[in-house]
Amino acid sequence: MFAKAYGATTLGVDGLIIDVEVDCANGLPSFDIVGLADTAVKESKERVRTAIRNSGIKLRQEKLTINLAPANLRKDNSGLDLPIAVGILAAYGLIPTEKLEKKLFAAELSLEGDCRAIRGILPMAVKAREQGFTTFFTSRANANEALLVKGIQIYALDHLTQLIDFLLDRTELSLAERQETPKCTHPAFSDDFADVQGQFLAKRALEIAAAGGHNALMVGSPGAGKTMLARRMNSILPELTREEALEVTKIYSIAGLLPPNGGLVTRRPFRSPHHTTSMTALIGGGSIPRPGEVTLAQNGVLFLDELPEFNKTTLEVLRQPLEDRSVTIARVNATLTFPANFILLSAMNPCPCGYYGEEDDTHTCECTPNEIKRYTRKISGPLLDRIDIHIRVPRVEYKDLSSTQKAEPSLRIRERVTAARQRQYARMKKFGLFCNAQMNHAILMETCPLDRSAQKLLEQAFRLMNLSARSYDRIVKVARTAADLGGSEKIQDAHIAEAIQLRNSVGVNMN
Amino acid sequence: MNTKSLGKQGEDIAAKYLCAHGYRILSRNFHVSIGEVDIIAWDEDVLVFIEVKTRRSDRCGTPGQSVHHRKQQKIARTADWYLHQHHMEQTPCRFDVIEVYLRSDHTWKIRQISGAFESGNSR
Repeated sequence: MFAKAYGATTLGVDGLIIDVEVDCANGLPSFDIVGLADTAVKESKERVRTAIRNSGIKLRQEKLTINLAPANLRKDNSGLDLPIAVGILAAYGLIPTEKLEKKLFAAELSLEGDCRAIRGILPMAVKAREQGFTTFFTSRANANEALLVKGIQIYALDHLTQLIDFLLDRTELSLAERQETPKCTHPAFSDDFADVQGQFLAKRALEIAAAGGHNALMVGSPGAGKTMLARRMNSILPELTREEALEVTKIYSIAGLLPPNGGLVTRRPFRSPHHTTSMTALIGGGSIPRPGEVTLAQNGVLFLDELPEFNKTTLEVLRQPLEDRSVTIARVNATLTFPANFILLSAMNPCPCGYYGEEDDTHTCECTPNEIKRYTRKISGPLLDRIDIHIRVPRVEYKDLSSTQKAEPSLRIRERVTAARQRQYARMKKFGLFCNAQMNHAILMETCPLDRSAQKLLEQAFRLMNLSARSYDRIVKVARTAADLGGSEKIQDAHIAEAIQLRNSVGVNMN
Repeated sequence: MNTKSLGKQGEDIAAKYLCAHGYRILSRNFHVSIGEVDIIAWDEDVLVFIEVKTRRSDRCGTPGQSVHHRKQQKIARTADWYLHQHHMEQTPCRFDVIEVYLRSDHTWKIRQISGAFESGNSR
């Protein structure tokens, strides 16, 4: 007999509905899975068979053929166990086939028949609702995640027998309910800007970066506090909106990074990959492309510490995601596009020894001009050009360090950032953008007119500092954010001046 | 007693055992160029292909263990041949392994593994 059940797998950041077709016929007993099943799915054969037997059902051996359609895509999700099991039972006539209509099954089975958690439940549930499925069966451990999707009935299963009894109308099964996980309601961060003494310029720069979504580069000697500052970046970014949170949760679900029973990710991601990270790990990849660090940093911060220590080619791959806010990965099996909308924060020393430009009695820079040049040249012009804010992080003065007065807390800064973001959003809604860093030249010219005196100041800086044409856009964008933070409609001289300072205060010739 | 006659003796015992349990034996030692099936019998409406393994002790593992993947596939191919030859492709089938332990005092013990394996390309 023939039966069809519906399962799902993931493709990129989306779910993909899989038709599980099962046919059982007389002839030499066999059990074959066709339709480009990956090892995890191929092995489901043994799990499913044992799970059915341990659920107290004895099946006669027959010629079983299972087809996973669409057949041209590789399936690698163990969540296909459950639809395969249900499909087999229906093919044997133990479950009426019409009972499987409009129902989606996604769980891994243990040998005993227990339902286990899998990754990618959220995108699957989203897809199921889109495609008009009415009911979604998953394991109890995944229920919280599936419940984020409204408009589809969700049942949480512990054991395969529960599902069989339910489909045969032998027992009732109640809809899954949200299990409360201990959640911190107080928006306090363990890393707070209140702990950072001094560094007013750097803090202001990060505030502007957070407000306008600008990328930033911090240059400073060892121990100046670059990493400390970067770690606090998340505490001043506005809270995730529900759509953003769903986006992030989807990505983390696919990457298998959600905690068990995890629901919505409510914090912005902060990713700081080590400088030995490979290109593939950074950008995503694999024979079936999986998200990399740039995607995992979606709607959050990607922090690259010790920027020149990264492999040059690794850094260069960042160009496309920084420009397009997405990354397209082509492999034999599939070409996928992952979102990569993040703020790039990076930190570096001014020279190999770390003290160039900060010499004092105890520290002297011993690097030759050539060494310094070679060090800074590791970061290419095109990459630097995509970083709007370049700042110098000087060493902290003793009087700042010893001061008992707390600095401004992150929450206060965050309020200003959130207000600035709202102003930007209101201005740029019609272009479909939501922060200043995303503007292209045309939009910039339209939304950021400069008055006479500001023009003049910029012109002066241009001539004196030998700025390039590309720098113009960057300076105006940063000035626009500074104006938004100040609550000003127009870009004033002071904003332009601040932007110029944030562009060129590194003290090392970076271009 | 050499291994050949040991095997023969085991198969005779297995055949008697099957008859006693209501199996109708169709063929014994069905062999073609690609392999051999020891016993082919009807268990009610299911056609059973049986491999008989006889051992004097468990010293080298159980008899059943020696029916490894390659051997299973060989039996499956032979069974396929048989079905085609007799135009019985749509018959429900099964593969069994019967273990016969022959003790030195000529008593024996028998164990039937019903549905021991399946045909198929992959394991």
